[in-house]
Amino acid sequence: MTLSKQTEPSMLHSLAKHAPESGSSTWNSIRENSLVNLNSVGFPHSRLEDWRFLDLRPISRTEFYSADEAGILPATNAENYFIPESDRSRLVFVNGNYSEKLSSIGGLGKGVTVGNLSDYADNPSVKEYLNKLVNYEDDLFTEFNGVMLKDGAFIHLEEGAKAEAPIQILNLYTDSAKPYVATPRILVVAEENSDMTIVEDHVGLSGNTYMTVPVSEVKVKKGAHIHHVRLQRDSENAFHIARPIAYVEQNSEYHSYTITLGAKISRNEPRVVQEAEEVNFTLDGLVLIDGDQVADTHSVLDHRFSFGNSHQLHKVVVNGKAHSIFNGKIFVRRDAQKIDSFQENRNLLLSNDGLVNTKPQLEIFADDVLCSHGATIGQLDPEEVFYLQSRGMTEEKAKEVLTYAFALETIENVKVESVHKLLIEEVYRYTKANNIETVNA
Amino acid sequence: MVLELKDLHCEVEGEGIEILKGVNLTVEKGEIHAIMGPNGSGKSTLAKVIAGHPEYEVTKGDILFNGESILELDPDERAHAGVFLAFQYPVEVPGVTNNTLLRESYNTIAASRGREELDPLEFDDYVRGKLDLVEMNPDFLERSVNTGFSGGEKKKNEIFQMAVLEPALALLDETDSGLDIDALRVVSNGINTLHGEDDAVVLITHYQRLLNYIVPDKVHVMLGGKIVKSGGKELAFELEDKGYDWLQDHAMVNGEAK
Repeated sequence: MTLSKQTEPSMLHSLAKHAPESGSSTWNSIRENSLVNLNSVGFPHSRLEDWRFLDLRPISRTEFYSADEAGILPATNAENYFIPESDRSRLVFVNGNYSEKLSSIGGLGKGVTVGNLSDYADNPSVKEYLNKLVNYEDDLFTEFNGVMLKDGAFIHLEEGAKAEAPIQILNLYTDSAKPYVATPRILVVAEENSDMTIVEDHVGLSGNTYMTVPVSEVKVKKGAHIHHVRLQRDSENAFHIARPIAYVEQNSEYHSYTITLGAKISRNEPRVVQEAEEVNFTLDGLVLIDGDQVADTHSVLDHRFSFGNSHQLHKVVVNGKAHSIFNGKIFVRRDAQKIDSFQENRNLLLSNDGLVNTKPQLEIFADDVLCSHGATIGQLDPEEVFYLQSRGMTEEKAKEVLTYAFALETIENVKVESVHKLLIEEVYRYTKANNIETVNA
Repeated sequence: MVLELKDLHCEVEGEGIEILKGVNLTVEKGEIHAIMGPNGSGKSTLAKVIAGHPEYEVTKGDILFNGESILELDPDERAHAGVFLAFQYPVEVPGVTNNTLLRESYNTIAASRGREELDPLEFDDYVRGKLDLVEMNPDFLERSVNTGFSGGEKKKNEIFQMAVLEPALALLDETDSGLDIDALRVVSNGINTLHGEDDAVVLITHYQRLLNYIVPDKVHVMLGGKIVKSGGKELAFELEDKGYDWLQDHAMVNGEAK
């Protein structure tokens, strides 16, 4: 892996000098360590296997500025993105900075702590887990986030606590004169038998260029349940590089649904690590892209113990000249028997110029497991279009309906009603806006 | 005349393989026609071509519907005009309920015929009345179109759609195939009930057994992309007895069989 250790500094290396300094000594040491690591890794490039299909030059060639220099404008119409279920359980970050004014965290009941990470620097869970769970090898972006550590979402549920309402983590990215970089951070600790729903939303308020590098660490202890919706609707000129990782303990459930709609280039690397027997987790994804968007998902489901059920349905719709990349790694360690793992990547290509790279990857070292995986790339079936046309729908409408039906499967398990509705609208908006090309059968 | 096919030739778009080789057929209002023939004779293609399937290109001849050529119409426009095709293999559309599809279809067709569109409540009343016809439970309406349906349910659903859309011409492509005897009874009762003086039905079938339930006015035999023999309902019995071989020779005499 010495290839990655190129020495040529990137703009992230130079931006690191703007790292915040305040905070506890623990935090300072996280930043310092991250800086050391940052300086030993270079900017990734397509000669590295994990970056083979993704051209990062649009990012590496962009000149980013510090928050002070970028001419950042304030957030507008933030309330348009508040979900009604979370009117008293909402954390809002503007370009990664906590906004007390826009947040509302009064109503979560007993045993639930929700707030800005930097206000909880001395909290035992923060001390124990912050930056300890994140585990991405030689990764410039994770380290950069660590260097810039300041604000973030902190959620802690005591043993047996239940968050009465979904907790919304709303990340807003505002317009600016020049490109900037935001480093949102999330730490979630669910103690034994606790239960919560999280809606993590990334919204570009304008069409400007910025980069966001969110890192989230989730700890799901024995018997705890987390339903995690991640919605990415960044600006069409934004870059989004996400590192969400979850650790699941015995009898716990972690179900995550990632919906990717925005950004010019997005790279999402969700990881779930099984830490004990009898767990159940989901890592579903829906990607709807068009124009020259590139959406890359590199996921890892790491089964380290026996009796785990995992589910990953990753559905992608590509239109225009958009490009989707999927690399789904499933590890089943040698002593992890009786694993039941399902992985499927289904791609719907609506245009002749779209591109899909898919690579499901099973690495199984145990012998008594049930793992199915597959990948399909297809166009709308002309027979299905004809069926709906023969019932009176125009060709355009028929294609809309079929695209909608294709996408629907991944969002039907999103149990926050307003978000489910929003996603249905987004799918409709996508199919309508795209005026789907006729593909020669 | 509801339907008139004049020397209809077609081939698979872009492949140059001729499938229909000059079909002539006239269907009058109030009639039921059965088109029979072995596999590969072109029966299903004929139904699809009339409904406007884009896979086939009409290279010669014409399709007249109520006296006017529909060759230039898209499949949805043909549906608006009153053509209905019950599919041999109905398509599953997960995420779209039967009710949604049918209301959408009903209203677009109603609008194009200058009839009043129905709001969801009115449509609900209307559609529930049609369920009995195919002996289906109301929760059927809330299920995704054909998704997870058994073969029999899919076929019933086609007839149910026909009931809701009230076409002037129903083309039923192998609607009897894969049905058990009870489902066959339900489906044929449905077709018999729906058929009246103002519409026409074309049954495409492999087997004579459907004709025990639905009595056709005319029976046609297709072989090698042409109708080689037409007759009354007794022709079906003759086919049951003798098979298609004797007609194969007949087709050869006419010159062009494959």
